[in-house]
Amino acid sequence: MEPREAARLLAQTQADARRSLDFRAPWVSLVAAMVALASFGIVWLNVRTQHPFTGPSPVALVCFYALIAFRIATVIYAYARARTGVSGHSVKVQRNEAAAMGAALLACYLLLIAIATGAHHSAGFYWSLFLNGTLIALAVIWAGRSAIHRSWQQVALAVSVALIAAVGAIAGPRGMWLVNGVGLCALLLANAAIVTSRRRGGTRTHTVRTGA
Amino acid sequence: MSAEALDPLIHVPARLQIVAALAALPDGDQLSFKRLQDMIELTPGNLITHLRKLEEAGYLTTRKTGSGPASRTSVALTHDGRLALETYATTLRGLLNGV
Repeated sequence: MEPREAARLLAQTQADARRSLDFRAPWVSLVAAMVALASFGIVWLNVRTQHPFTGPSPVALVCFYALIAFRIATVIYAYARARTGVSGHSVKVQRNEAAAMGAALLACYLLLIAIATGAHHSAGFYWSLFLNGTLIALAVIWAGRSAIHRSWQQVALAVSVALIAAVGAIAGPRGMWLVNGVGLCALLLANAAIVTSRRRGGTRTHTVRTGA
Repeated sequence: MSAEALDPLIHVPARLQIVAALAALPDGDQLSFKRLQDMIELTPGNLITHLRKLEEAGYLTTRKTGSGPASRTSVALTHDGRLALETYATTLRGLLNGV
């Protein structure tokens, strides 16, 4: 085998293997972007004319949670497909992290329920706290986890989610659905573009470095 | 430097693909025989032959769990295997850059 051919084969195999084993594929981000836009958009259309704000209708909430469930299902599918046949330390770590995120989500809900039952406030206060509080808490935990793993792209993504949720909280009970929907959609589309460009660039850089 | 400086054990298309694919896993992870076969598209017999050669050289380890039809073989790159691939890539770069 010629050295040039060996360099090409090495670069191609490494790029293909990394792509195949990584569940954070661009299509997962694209689906997430569409889900964010559709789920928050449906609720925004439902509440935008409410004066005073009384909260989303049961139908809007069913659509919202159904889309969130769909998003979670796509992540589980992508993860299962990418990690089929892989075992060892990193798999155990990822399972523990998923369990920790689940526990954090549950803790957020319990804490927010405790706050909500502690004093009487408007529906706008509850929804703003419930939605943006959960988003910020999960994003901060994810940023911390990503920083430990030195995954700076994920840190930037998580911090951006927290910032969008913070802006959403300022936008009020009606505007927050639009801010979160459009903000998260734009962020996830940008993430999909970065992942795609890195995947293409990864093969090209390696090929150039090895000279093939 | 000539092509003979390249590790002859890795400098075979199928074995280069095996080592490169396994190197994409984090340290301490294993890949099932079936998944590795799907990734590099080799026949089972061909793959076993190359895995044996790499295992004999200490570049990878294989582990069989279970028995009968439910048995599963996992393959992992050893520290020596990872080091050998790094050395191979460095030598390759040197060759292509005319060092």
